[in-house]
Amino acid sequence: MSTSVIVIFAVIALFAIYFITIYNRLVALRNRFQNAFAQIEVQLKRRYDLIPNLVETAKAYLKHERETLEAVTNARNQASQGLAAAAAAPGSPAAMQQLAGAEGALAGALGRLNIVMEAYPDLKANQNMMQLSEELTSTENKVSFARQSFNDQVMNYNTYKQSFPQVIVASMFGHGQDASLLEFADSEAIQAAPKVSF
Amino acid sequence: MDFFTAQDHARRNTGRLVFFFFLAVLSLIVLTNLVVMLVFGFFQPVTDGNANQPAFDWTIFFGIGTAVVMIVALGSLYKVSRLSRGGDAIAAMYGAKPVFADDPDLSRQRLVHIVEEMAIASGTPVPQVYVLDEEGINAFAAGFSTSDAIIAVTKGALRTLNREQLQGVIAHEFSHILNGDMRLNIRLVGILHGILLLGLIGHYILRGSSGSGKKGGGVLLGLGLLMIGYAGTFFGKIIKAAVSRQREFLADAAAVQFTRNPDGIGGALLRIGAHQKGSLLADPKTEELSHALFGQGTKIAFTSLFATHPRLEDRIRRILPDWDGTLPAAGEDGPIHEKMSGPSGPAAATAGFTSGSVVSRIGRPGNDDINKAKQLLKNIDDVFLRAARDPFSAQAVLLYLILDNSSTVREQQLSHLKSSAAPGISPEIRKLIRTGRAVQAEERLALVELSLPSLRRLSEKQAQLFLGNLNSLIRIDGKITLFEWCLLRIVSSYIDDYFKKPIDNTTTRIHDLEQVGHECAMVLSVLAYSTRHDGLEQSEVFSRAIKETGLPATERIPAEHINLASLQKSLQKLQQLSPQAKALFIKGCVSCVLADGKIDPVEAELLRSVAATLSVPMPPTV
Repeated sequence: MSTSVIVIFAVIALFAIYFITIYNRLVALRNRFQNAFAQIEVQLKRRYDLIPNLVETAKAYLKHERETLEAVTNARNQASQGLAAAAAAPGSPAAMQQLAGAEGALAGALGRLNIVMEAYPDLKANQNMMQLSEELTSTENKVSFARQSFNDQVMNYNTYKQSFPQVIVASMFGHGQDASLLEFADSEAIQAAPKVSF
Repeated sequence: MDFFTAQDHARRNTGRLVFFFFLAVLSLIVLTNLVVMLVFGFFQPVTDGNANQPAFDWTIFFGIGTAVVMIVALGSLYKVSRLSRGGDAIAAMYGAKPVFADDPDLSRQRLVHIVEEMAIASGTPVPQVYVLDEEGINAFAAGFSTSDAIIAVTKGALRTLNREQLQGVIAHEFSHILNGDMRLNIRLVGILHGILLLGLIGHYILRGSSGSGKKGGGVLLGLGLLMIGYAGTFFGKIIKAAVSRQREFLADAAAVQFTRNPDGIGGALLRIGAHQKGSLLADPKTEELSHALFGQGTKIAFTSLFATHPRLEDRIRRILPDWDGTLPAAGEDGPIHEKMSGPSGPAAATAGFTSGSVVSRIGRPGNDDINKAKQLLKNIDDVFLRAARDPFSAQAVLLYLILDNSSTVREQQLSHLKSSAAPGISPEIRKLIRTGRAVQAEERLALVELSLPSLRRLSEKQAQLFLGNLNSLIRIDGKITLFEWCLLRIVSSYIDDYFKKPIDNTTTRIHDLEQVGHECAMVLSVLAYSTRHDGLEQSEVFSRAIKETGLPATERIPAEHINLASLQKSLQKLQQLSPQAKALFIKGCVSCVLADGKIDPVEAELLRSVAATLSVPMPPTV
């Protein structure tokens, strides 16, 4: 009897440790992608800081394009709000979708601005403008890179969560919902947008 | 005690611990058996005549033995795996938040700068900095090796301490990192937890059987296990605390040695004494970190036995012998008394080196090194500094460092990146090229050390892609320099360490340098080929270096017999050297570089890079 009691307790202990390990790993993986979102946040913020400067510089040249400029400013403000909401809950589907939508709108507005600017070679040659668009390009790259990192980590988390036996206990541990990827519907346009201004 | 001896001690202590551990488990088995025999042997109702003769059954003995071993091993493994998951995971466990150099808050920026200076001064990758939301003045270091080390500081410390004092605290934590204290203590905590688990199980048995009303066996068994477990933990804790207190004195002494400024760390300790919370932390979980903290983190009874840190007064008196016993008025005036201490005086003159003196300074940065680090950080172009601290452009910085001097090869390298690297990397490199400022030899390793922690923020996929590109960029011109090779090795082992399980390189230790004579000869030959000395034959340089290591004289290896793969294998083998054997080998390397009695910046950089591939932290003013 004594051995069997001890064996039973050892088995219970083994299971307990096993589940604690799963729990720890879940927390660690969630932490990783949340940290990765912080990286996106830094870069997007930087981008949102650059856009008003861009608009300011363009204003002097684009006297008749007020609407286009306003659209950019509005889209930027929307996106900035979306970012604040997303940073509070990285990986939540609603927040990710909202941010992705706002970013898509901003990319569209910037794209239109670039097309307009094509007609103003002076503006394109402006030193300030060149520097700004250079910085914007570099920030775009960093955003898409950080986004890729975030998505990789989210995938890792989801895959771990969905595999056996974690899938049985994950929701008990408060990891029920899959984290959501951050996809910018209009990534192509974002990539292309700043290039036009060169 | 020099770096290599300290490392040796940390490891030897680990060996001794394992021995004690075996003894402890053995006595645990015997004790548990006694308890079980008491419970089930003597208290069983008598059924036949020879019940007075306690039956000793070997199968039961082994059954219990296996169970005890399993429980203790599981408990230990669980705790060790929890604590050795890397510094970042541990920081996250305590809710610490990462801080970066671009933080808008000035006091946090200053913290990052202090850590960067200290890392460059000691020749290790910069640890990630965290801030812990606690009011007490405290700090901790975590991580298994320098590649996943982190340093966390409480908000209280940030608010209360001035730059000098904070530097003292950081130097103290660096001593824990450099001396391998974390590795030692993770194991100690692990073993203790294994024994504690036995007690916990006893506790549950006791509760279970007293509730069910069944008296006798269960209660006794539970009580027995409880006593064994808790008694074991009790004595274990006393031993652990004693070891820890010694390491704290050592770290305090090291902090004074690193900064040459007893007032810094002394002042920090005085502030802890004056602060109403002292160094106490609110989060009870921090107890398992106690060994890595700067000051006592939890309130405890029987201070003299269980305290993981020596008494504050004793620590202050050891650092400031003529302290009058009064504490400064509590207040938060630290940061206001900010004294921006710039580089004070020129860095040490680079004369009068011997290979012995260089080796003795490894892992023991001095004030000169900290000043040198400050100077380097000031001299490096701002564009590079900012880039090194960002995960995306840090890749560009590292790739930039291995760009070829000839513009045709350079274009080839850049166009390779265009197709295979993440979009935007090659424009980022061009931006660095456009600064038009060549990176000085002595700045290169500092830039690498700054860039490495940024790579932690890549996903594993991204990191592997980057490593692949670094590799192919180096090979594009068909030849490879020693610096390029070292850079690749440093970066790839950092990334591997970080993303895979920390490699515990205690498995096979090579204590005798002669076992790896060929490998030594290989690396020393390359070093002899890569350094230039007026009026000295390369073969002469080589044979002197071999003599310095104490190996029997050998021929140097002809250049055509050396290729990347063989060099790679050699350094991998040398990485398994025990600390003392490593010291000998490094001596040989130093002699290679010192052959003509002086070290120029390029040679120093080469030497430090080779040392870094062997995880030997060499200060920048060698």
